[in-house]
Amino acid sequence: MKSFFFLLLLGSYLPGLAQNNNNSLSADSTRSILLSEVLVSTKTRSDQQRMLQFYRSNQSSGLEDILSRLPEMSLIRRGTYGMEPAIRSLSGGQINVLVDGMRIHGACTDKMDPATIYIEPINLEQLQLQTGTNGFINGSAIGGTLNLKTATPSCHTPNRFSGTISTGFQSAAKNFYESMQLNYGTGKWSLRGTATWRKSSDYRSGGGERIAFSQYEKVNYSFSAKYQLNQYNSIKADYIGDNGWNIGYPALLMDVGYAVARIGSVSLQQENPGQRLYQWSAKLYANQVRHYMDDTHRPNVPMHMDMPGTSLTYGVFTEGMAKLNNKQQLRVVADFSATRLKASMTMYEPGQRPMYMLTWPDNRKDQAGIGVNWEYRADSNWLLQSVARLDFISTALTSQEAKDHISILGVTDAGRQELLKNLSITASRKLSPWLKSSISLAYAERMPTATELYGFYLFNAQDGYDYLGNPGLKPEQSLQGEFSLITLGKKARLKVTAFYNQIRHFISGTVNPAFSTMTIGANGVKSFSAVPHATLAGLETSLFLKPLPQLDIVSTLRYTDGNDNTGDPLPMIAPLKSISSVRYQFNPFFLQLETELAAAQNKISIKYGEDRTNGYALLHIRSGFPFRLAGKETDLQFGVENLFDKHYHEHLDWGNVKRQGRNAYLMLKWFF
Amino acid sequence: MKKILYLLLSFAVLCIIVFLSACSKDKTAQNPTAGLTKISEGYAIGAGAKVEVYTKETSLTTGYTKFYLALYDSITGKRLDDAHIHLTPMMDMGMMQHSAPYENPASTDAVNYLFPCSVTFIMSSMGGSWTLEIEVHNHANDKEGSITLPITVAEPATSKQKSFTATHNGAKYFISLISPTSANSKVGINDLEIAIYKKASMMSWPADSSLTVAVTPEMPTMGHGSPNNVNPTHVANGHYKGKVNFTMTGLWRLNLDFMSGSNVADTTQYFDVEF
Repeated sequence: MKSFFFLLLLGSYLPGLAQNNNNSLSADSTRSILLSEVLVSTKTRSDQQRMLQFYRSNQSSGLEDILSRLPEMSLIRRGTYGMEPAIRSLSGGQINVLVDGMRIHGACTDKMDPATIYIEPINLEQLQLQTGTNGFINGSAIGGTLNLKTATPSCHTPNRFSGTISTGFQSAAKNFYESMQLNYGTGKWSLRGTATWRKSSDYRSGGGERIAFSQYEKVNYSFSAKYQLNQYNSIKADYIGDNGWNIGYPALLMDVGYAVARIGSVSLQQENPGQRLYQWSAKLYANQVRHYMDDTHRPNVPMHMDMPGTSLTYGVFTEGMAKLNNKQQLRVVADFSATRLKASMTMYEPGQRPMYMLTWPDNRKDQAGIGVNWEYRADSNWLLQSVARLDFISTALTSQEAKDHISILGVTDAGRQELLKNLSITASRKLSPWLKSSISLAYAERMPTATELYGFYLFNAQDGYDYLGNPGLKPEQSLQGEFSLITLGKKARLKVTAFYNQIRHFISGTVNPAFSTMTIGANGVKSFSAVPHATLAGLETSLFLKPLPQLDIVSTLRYTDGNDNTGDPLPMIAPLKSISSVRYQFNPFFLQLETELAAAQNKISIKYGEDRTNGYALLHIRSGFPFRLAGKETDLQFGVENLFDKHYHEHLDWGNVKRQGRNAYLMLKWFF
Repeated sequence: MKKILYLLLSFAVLCIIVFLSACSKDKTAQNPTAGLTKISEGYAIGAGAKVEVYTKETSLTTGYTKFYLALYDSITGKRLDDAHIHLTPMMDMGMMQHSAPYENPASTDAVNYLFPCSVTFIMSSMGGSWTLEIEVHNHANDKEGSITLPITVAEPATSKQKSFTATHNGAKYFISLISPTSANSKVGINDLEIAIYKKASMMSWPADSSLTVAVTPEMPTMGHGSPNNVNPTHVANGHYKGKVNFTMTGLWRLNLDFMSGSNVADTTQYFDVEF
């Protein structure tokens, strides 16, 4: 229940479904998905749970599958595993991907390890997604924030020990999933531990073709301890370890030998509903990611190479929520973080000395910022909200070797200092008892990434170009607006959101004919440079119907259009896509039918090496059967995805690698 | 009261003196030949001087070779730092003899007791025997004499010495790579220095400044080059200086094109650098 409390306080909101009408007035650009295992186990069929059933369609599915079902999100796919999340077609440095507020930087120069791959759903209590207009309180970003809120050990469980054991199998990739969660709670102490193992072989695509180099294996473990100091204060320590190995990337030239993350934090929390400052927390954290690309399993490799990378981030932040009066609330965030990156490439030609270069020349990024969210509830119909954020960011190359590398590009001083400014205003109004509207306007900025500033001959397998950083890049600036209409009904709810985002100094690669390629077989060299402006506009709708008590219908639809200043389409824009599910509860058995429809994408970026993608229609069937095993609740789930074994790929799939064909899964979850 | 003031003042002065003397650098001169390798030595008969020949390399290979000569008074053993020195390298191939390009010390004053000079060995000792005659005019005693030292020159693993017959005038040119070397190369911007000599006769190998040079670095294994290189231009005495960029370690080939005005002199030469 605490997580729900948190949800309310944040003014977060599940579109159209929140039971509390007051709450439903609040920020519409926030979408929170509860993932807590405990909540799933309870018999109360909350609205959240229904949403969860939609988002987490397949209980053994990973975080990426859940993200892919959010209408605001799309995933850029280079392998089965390690998909890069994009919010409204913005990704990488344009968005924040935080783990419980902590910054984590992947250690792969080729974006094979977004922070999301180091987190398992079982580590999480909640997914919080904020789109661009309000998504920068925790860090300057033009595309919003995805915060993966980690689970907290519970001291309110009926038994001292409780937990779940899950086991699952999926046929298309011969994928095994084993997972366990343990919770121990006494009066003051509570502990939580999880462990997950996934092993996937090469999967078969629709029609039966085996996709080589699509395998992976990983282990994830987490431990969390909380001590209640007194009625209001608690201290908590969290640790997440994630080891992936032998991870195939069919769309790339190399696979991943290992990808390892160590994520630790200590936090203090104070909750005192009676106080003006009713919630306050502070966190000290550090994390390290090591990533190692590997080509030893690939046939016909022209030259063997090693590509290791490391990232180290540490930081501290504090966050407080205060009730100024009956109408006004304030949330203040102050944070500091420092990130250090290094990646290199070594190529081996027999009989010669190794060829070594830094692909991310040693660099650091130090950031300090302060964010404020002010909420003013004028009356029961009006809500005003304003978010502001100021960030000071300093980046620099940290070794002479790194400076020598970048000097080749004609740059003498590669250090950067920027002050980034973000501001948004949102007004929500209840137009009638069943209709609410909300409008947001925002100005936001984001810092160019280490790759964009300092990348050194980074090969992009999608367009076949080597990319060079540009230390002189300006921050991207975004002017954006969002408009939502929400109907509030008991049996039918609809949310429609339209957005428009104009980005100045849009960072993109432009061909640099003066430079010769580094990668054997590359088409040329591109340097990161700023396009004067680019625009993104789109629409998302979510529909929830409950015509009968046993029947839930959920349907989402999204469309995005993106163009640069010359009118050319932007790359990596997903086409019109809709996911719908119909679920019928036979008590206790349920049956769920799902369709996934995507239109063809004909608006493509030729410059970026894209080609047209056909539309597709998929049908999934899911079922669940809860029963009691050894006196404990047990959940058995069975389903078939891509029932008609459709041979397809999505537009955001690099290399047009076909997706999984018919996939039957079986999942057993035992609660104790 | 005054006494105490003086006492304090003198104490302060003392402190400053102690502090300053502690700060002043140790003036014991470093051995001028530290880090260098002695190749040969002998007495320049008549000049009253002992000559020691040093190089930065541990052994001699073909190409531009920088020598550092140390001179001592043959009786007292004291270092000499004022002398006029003239070199004559000679290759004796039995049937014929020839000299090689060389650079005498630029000044009669030694640089930190050493006289820098150079010889460009255009072939190894495999084909004959090298000698280096060093004529010394010792300004300390105003006497002249000379010594001839036998020198062994090997062919290096990667050549830093090439020659071509120019297509525009039929003359033979000898080119040497001075920098970058395997030892001083780095990923980044590297100083490029080559020396060009023209063979005028068997005994005359003057420095050439008439050619223009274009450099194109390339990794032969990878088939790529590097950006923002600066073509070497003539500085002095046949030395051409420019910049060459290496984007990674490994084997690099510096392709060189030589032009005489708008006429092509040669486009076939290259030097390999592996680091």
